[in-house]
This record gives sequence, C-alpha cells and structure tokens, in this order.
Amino acid sequence: MTFAERMLRIDRRIIFLVIGLCTLFPLLFPVGLPIRISSEVRGVFDYIDNLPEGSVFLLSLDFDPASKPELYPQAIAILRHAFNKNVRVIAMTLWVSGTGLADSIVSQTAKEAGKENGKDYVFLGWSPGGSAVILNMGQDLYTAFPADYGGKATKGLPVLAGVQNLRDVTYAVSLGAGNPGVEAWYVFGKDKYKFELGGGCTGVMAPGLYPLLRSGQINGLIGGLRGAAEYETLIGQKGKAVAGMDAQSATHLAIIVLVAICNVFYFTMRRQQRRQERMGS
Amino acid sequence: MIALRRQLPLLITMVTGLVMAGQYYVPHPASEQLLTTVTKWLQIIGGFALVLGITSLFHVHAAKIRRKEAGWGYSLMLYAGMLGTIVVGLWNGGKESIDGAMTSFGWVYSYTLVPLQGTMFAILAFFIASAAYRSFRARSREAAVLLIAAVIVMMGRVPLGEYLLPISGDLSSWILNVLNASVRRAILIGVSLGAVALSFKIIFGVERSYLGGGKE
Amino acid sequence: MPSLLRIVPLIAVLLALMPQILWAQTSLAPPQQLHVFDTPSDGGGSLTATWASSASDRAAGTYQVLFHEGAPPPDQTGWKVLAEFPANSHFVREAKAAWWTSPGPPGDHVYFIKNGKGIELKPGHAYAVTVAAVNGQERSIAQPVVASPEPNWMNWNQLNNLVLALLFGAVVFYAINLAKRKEIFLRRIPGLDAVDEAIGRATELGKPVLYMTGAHDMNDPATIAAAIILGRVAKKAASYETELLVPHREPITMAVCQEITKQAYLEAGKPDLFKDDANFFITSDQFSYTAAVDGIMLRRKPAANFFMGSYFAESLLLTETGASTGAIQIAGTDSDHQLPFFVTTCDYTLIGEELYAASAYLSKEPIQVGTLRGQDLGKAFILGVIGIGTLLATIMVVTGATWPQLLLDLFKDLK
Repeated sequence: MTFAERMLRIDRRIIFLVIGLCTLFPLLFPVGLPIRISSEVRGVFDYIDNLPEGSVFLLSLDFDPASKPELYPQAIAILRHAFNKNVRVIAMTLWVSGTGLADSIVSQTAKEAGKENGKDYVFLGWSPGGSAVILNMGQDLYTAFPADYGGKATKGLPVLAGVQNLRDVTYAVSLGAGNPGVEAWYVFGKDKYKFELGGGCTGVMAPGLYPLLRSGQINGLIGGLRGAAEYETLIGQKGKAVAGMDAQSATHLAIIVLVAICNVFYFTMRRQQRRQERMGS
Repeated sequence: MIALRRQLPLLITMVTGLVMAGQYYVPHPASEQLLTTVTKWLQIIGGFALVLGITSLFHVHAAKIRRKEAGWGYSLMLYAGMLGTIVVGLWNGGKESIDGAMTSFGWVYSYTLVPLQGTMFAILAFFIASAAYRSFRARSREAAVLLIAAVIVMMGRVPLGEYLLPISGDLSSWILNVLNASVRRAILIGVSLGAVALSFKIIFGVERSYLGGGKE
Repeated sequence: MPSLLRIVPLIAVLLALMPQILWAQTSLAPPQQLHVFDTPSDGGGSLTATWASSASDRAAGTYQVLFHEGAPPPDQTGWKVLAEFPANSHFVREAKAAWWTSPGPPGDHVYFIKNGKGIELKPGHAYAVTVAAVNGQERSIAQPVVASPEPNWMNWNQLNNLVLALLFGAVVFYAINLAKRKEIFLRRIPGLDAVDEAIGRATELGKPVLYMTGAHDMNDPATIAAAIILGRVAKKAASYETELLVPHREPITMAVCQEITKQAYLEAGKPDLFKDDANFFITSDQFSYTAAVDGIMLRRKPAANFFMGSYFAESLLLTETGASTGAIQIAGTDSDHQLPFFVTTCDYTLIGEELYAASAYLSKEPIQVGTLRGQDLGKAFILGVIGIGTLLATIMVVTGATWPQLLLDLFKDLK
C-alpha cells in the first residue's frame, strides 16, 4: 500500500482529534473576528425592532436539548430583544422533551430583564398534538393551553389581554430543530391565521428552509450558530454564539484543509495507478 | 372474514381519505372542527400505540435478560433507567421546576438527558469531517463542481472564511439562495407529485400492500 | 291631525337626509358606490367593503373605514375607525385574489374587515360599515351599509388547486389503464438493482439485514413507501433465510411493518422463519433511537443497511456508523435536506420521488408503473407551466398588458 493510499484510509479517530482540538483551542483563546450581518437574520431583527410596545410576540421553542448549542443562543438573543422592546411575550414549545429547557431559557431572560410572569410574559409549556396544537391555538388559545406551565389559568392573565387566538398575534417566531417546527408554523399557522412569521433553525436545516424565505412564507431566518451570532451582534449583547464562531471558523477551515489533503492524496494515488497501468501494458 | 380483513379497512381508508382531502377546500368552521377532532383521535390512537411500543421494548429486553444474551446488562440498565425516570416523573408531577426550584425530575432532565442528547448531536461535527475526508474527492467534473461549491459555502458561513476570502460571504449566499433553493424546489415538485400519486392510489385502493402485502 | 301625519314622514326623510345635506356643504365628495358584503370563501369572520375610486384620490387625502356593531350609530361619534390609509391605495387590483373571485372592478378600492386586532365578527350578526373620505379637516361619509358575515362551504379561491388535483388524478388513472395495455419503459434505478445484491451479500456473510423506516409515522407517504419496500426486502430476506432487523421509532409503523413482514415470509414460503420481534420499537426520541441503532450496527455488524423514509439530523450519525462497519448501505428519502449526507455516506441513494417509484420498479406491476408515467406527465405539465408562466410574466412587465394575469392566476396559490 502506497503512502497516499495509507493516508486516504487514515484512522478516522485522527480526524476526530483534529476537529476536537480545532473546537477546543478557539474556545480557550478567542480571537473575536467581525461578523457580517445577513439579510435573512436582519429580517427577523428589524421586524421585532419595529414592533410597537405592547404588541403580541409569540416564540415557539421547538427543539430539544440535542439542538441546545445552536438554538439556545438564538432563543436567548431573541428574547432579550423582545423584552427590551417591551412587547408582550408568549413562549411555548411543541417538543415535549424541550419543555424544561424552554422554561429555563424564558425564566432566565425574563429575570434578567426584570419582567413579571403573567404580566409581561407567559410560558405556556407544551401541549400534546404536535402540529395540531397550532390549529387549536388558531381557533382558541385558551382551549389549547387552559393553564400555563406553572399551572396558572391562562384566561385572565394580563399578558394575554385581548388575545383570543393566533389572529391576535402580531409576530411569531419558531425556533425549530425538526418537525414540528418552522414549516408546521407556516402551514398550520401563518397560512391559516394570517400573522407574520419568522424562523430559526439548526445549521444543517437552514438550506432546506431557504425556499420558504425566498417565497416570503417566512420574513427572516436565523440559521444555526452563525445566525445566533449575527443576532447577538445586532442587539449588541455578545454571548455564547459569538464566542462559538471562532470555534466554528476553525473547524470549517480544518474540514477544508482535510478535504484538500484528501484530494492531493487521491490525485497522487490516481497518477501512480495510471503509471502502473501504462507500465503494465 | 376476508371482508373484515381487507374490504373494511379499504373502505375506511377511501371514505376518510376523500373526506380529509375535501376538508382542505371547505373554510366552514365545521370543517376546521372536523380536522381538530380527527387530529385528537390520532393523538388518542398514538397514546394507545405507545403502549404497544413499550410492550415490544420490554419484551425484547426481558428476553435478553432471561437468556443472558451478550450485553444483557445494558437491557437491565434500560429497565432501571426507564422505571426510575417514570417514578421520579410521577413523584414531581412531570415538572422540571416548581416556583423556580429544580425538582428531582428536573435534575434527571438537566444532568442526564441534556448532556446525553447534546453529546449525540455534537458527534455530528466529527462525523461530517470524517465523511467529508472520505467522500469529497474530485472523481469527476461534477464532483469537482460540488467540491468547489462546498468549500465556498463553508468559507462564507464563518467569519474567518469571510476574512480570508471576502467574496465568499456573498457567493455562499447566492449559492444557497439561488442554486440550492431552485434545486430543492425541483426535488420538492417531484416528491409532492409522488406523494399525491401515492395518496390517490391508497385512497382508491390501488395500493394495498401497506395493509399487510399480498393480493387477495 | 291628518296634515300632521303627512308631515311626520317628511320630517323623518329630512332627518335621514340631514347628514347628506350637511356633508354636501363640504367640498369633499363622499365615497361612491359603497358595497359591503360577507367575504366569500371564508369561515365567517370577515366582511368586504368596496367603493369606486374618485378622480380626486391622492396620497394627501385618506380614507377611513368606519364600523359599528348592529345598525348605524345615531351620530358620527358612534363610529369606530377601523383603518385609515392614503386615498391612492387599497385597490382591488392589489388584493391577492384571482379574477374569478375578485371582489370588484380592478380600479375600485377594497378593504377586508377581519376578526382579530380588537374586533370580533360573529357569523349571522349585523354590522354597519361605511367609508369616509378625509382631507385635512374635511370629512365626508358615505351612506352606511349593513351586512353580516357568514361561513361558507367552499373556498372558491382554491378552485384552481382542486381542478389541477383532479386533473392530475385523472392523468394517473389514465396512465394506469394505458400501462395495462402496453409496456412502459422504466429507467434503471441502481439503488433498487442493488437490493438483491445487498441481501445476497448478507446471506453469504451470515450477517443480518438492518432496515429502517424513518422518523415519521404512517401519515407520511415516505413512511408508507418505506413500508412497501420493506415487504419486498423481507420477502427476499426470507427466501435467502437471512435475519432481518427492523428497529422502529413509531409504534403504529411497527405494528403495520410486523404485518407486512409476516405476509412477506408467508409469500416466500417460509412462515416458520418469521419472528415477531424482527420488528421492534426502541424510542420515539431522535438521538436515543440513533444511539441504540448505532449500537446494533456496532454489535451485530449487519452486512446491509437500508435507510428508507424521512430523516433529520440523525441521518449522518446512522450512515457514518454503518459505513465504518463496512455494510452495503442503500438509502431512499424525500428529506431533501438530508440528501447530501446520504449521498456522501451510502453506496446507493434513492432521491426524492425515486422512493415512491421503488414499489413500481421492484414489482413491475402495470398499476405501479402506470402511476409513474402519470407522475412524469404531471411533471412535464408543471415544466410547461413554469416556462410559459415566465414568458407571460415577462410580457406583462415589459408591455404593461393585463391579459397575461388571467392565465397566470390559474396557477397561483390562493388561500
């Protein structure tokens, strides 16, 4: 076996080690490269920024702990922005395994902003039914969520004054890691009950949601850690996402270098094989 | 008996299929109510089906423990983990926190589920790298085009890439917004037509192998 | 007394006309031809108001849409101002409606009064609506109209959608009939040709075959297609006497697949080899399922892995582990976002609709093959529409002609 062939069949644990180191070092020694703001993230930011005080903003945290690294910073940044603009925040989740995480995100940011549960915001928790919950909320929010996550009756909560169903929502954002997520909120929510919708998702899912963005079905898209970092930059509160961008930069670069090396070895091996074939004939 | 096993399910499929397809075109509140009711039924059936699933899970692992098959200790762990979580969950009424204080169920959630799921998702980054190393080779002209596009998008999505190659940001946006979106739309059109055709076949009983294969 | 009785109606008429008389004193003319009616094709929570545009419509002036529950209020202060917008906006031509459901002539003004944002329209209840033309301090109100919203039984906006769906259905059934009469060419799908090879290899090595049906339940056509292909794979595995493992994420899918597998073993003449626990449930949680299946791959080392149906982020974790064990891997998915991972790590990948075509390809039954031809005709039609639509839209923009809109509306997605 030639050197090139050996390198092409390298033990994948070596690659894992390279990626591990490329993630670890930038986290320990951050560089802080400037982050360019994309129009898709600006779409969500601008809409929230222009919401009049007291508008109804719905944030659906449709993810579980697996997607925490990417969607947690997005949720924190959006909530900080919304609380800063003094809009009424209705938070919820369509993923049962994400309920605890969503609760901690909402209560943590609300506490930070000095907001009062039930008056400035409410966390509705999770209700069974997946996408059907959106339909139920479209008909009557209080049937879908008779009580909030803490068990308090939703009817009569000051934060929900004048809100009967999804038609009364000014803006909704779904941070989705799969199904039900952004697409479900478009099909069963915006399409039927006519409110403006924005989306956030993991980096892997982002290319799949671009058709929704291009057709105006969502007015903005926060994709992965990069999107979260852009949002943090926009609100001027740099957090975990901005810190993670250096690590992401290093790993992307490492993958590019690995791919380049692999191709160099591939072409070397091919040339050797051709030479051998020529000599053989 | 054959009628019960074959004809009745086909009839139910046809009637419900046609009704639910028609529901899409009816804006009347009754139609929306029908959709909600049917979805609730689905949830209830799903709840019962979960019993079926858990029975299967318990059965498979009980057999492993009984026969002391290789790795039967893991099956024991599964029993302990599942029953333990159920007990703790019931004890705390399924709440991870009460009035801001973490419950024991919350502890299980925060210190086992969250890190375990995070770990599984994080492995993706390592696997992407190893898969890219193994497969991203410019074997043909088409593969070379894919390779170049991938490198541009990888550069354009991170600050370091944009710093080293400033045009990569705009180029990657163009690739994602124009090339990627249009190709995906094309695939989606094909997928949707396939799904509609399959639905027609199922509604009208042309495709029946999902009922248990075979012909009458 | 009789003369007084005659005067009363006269006074009443004068009183009724009083506002008109008063408004007539302003130079601003009230909006003309105001029509208020139940918005057609909706669930009953909306009214539509249309009125003729005026020569004096300009950005400086505005229109106010005024609303009152029940009959018109006794005085002007009783009206609730629902909306105020520049007089040169809100035209019928700007509304997203097709020509067959247009609320009025394109040049007229239109406003849709909808449920929510502070008002609640109840079906069957009467509401008074009027429109005021406003210019600075001047305000001129049209004669109010009373209307009530009603729920409708048909959304006529989606008529084009219904017609196209029925047309496509008819084409599919026509193609099935055609396929029964004459043979239809099917292009090769290498991924499906490799099914036999993969199971054969597993048999040679004495290792099991692992088959996954994806993340969704039986509501999803991709899962149904995966279950159908499972029937063929199970039949082949039964005839080769190769062990089959089918881990599931969804209990109902598991129950259906159990039946399909049982039938396949019966058809292969090997009912005694069928095991109830060949299909087993793991968990519906994405990554717990992935970890369990990865464990099965590493411990049992299946020689062939099939990934059919819908997948999310777990796809690469599954296929990369499978690749590390040296198994032949065949994937088939309509999850376009996961296709790059499958293509990179699997030996064969069925892309998008190829998954639905699989049962036709494997069975070669005329009914199945005919459906594929129907799909092809549908695709050709869509391609034609895209081409012609682009041309018409360009003509419309360049020449300013309105006639192409009549054709373009036929293919618009209207809700």
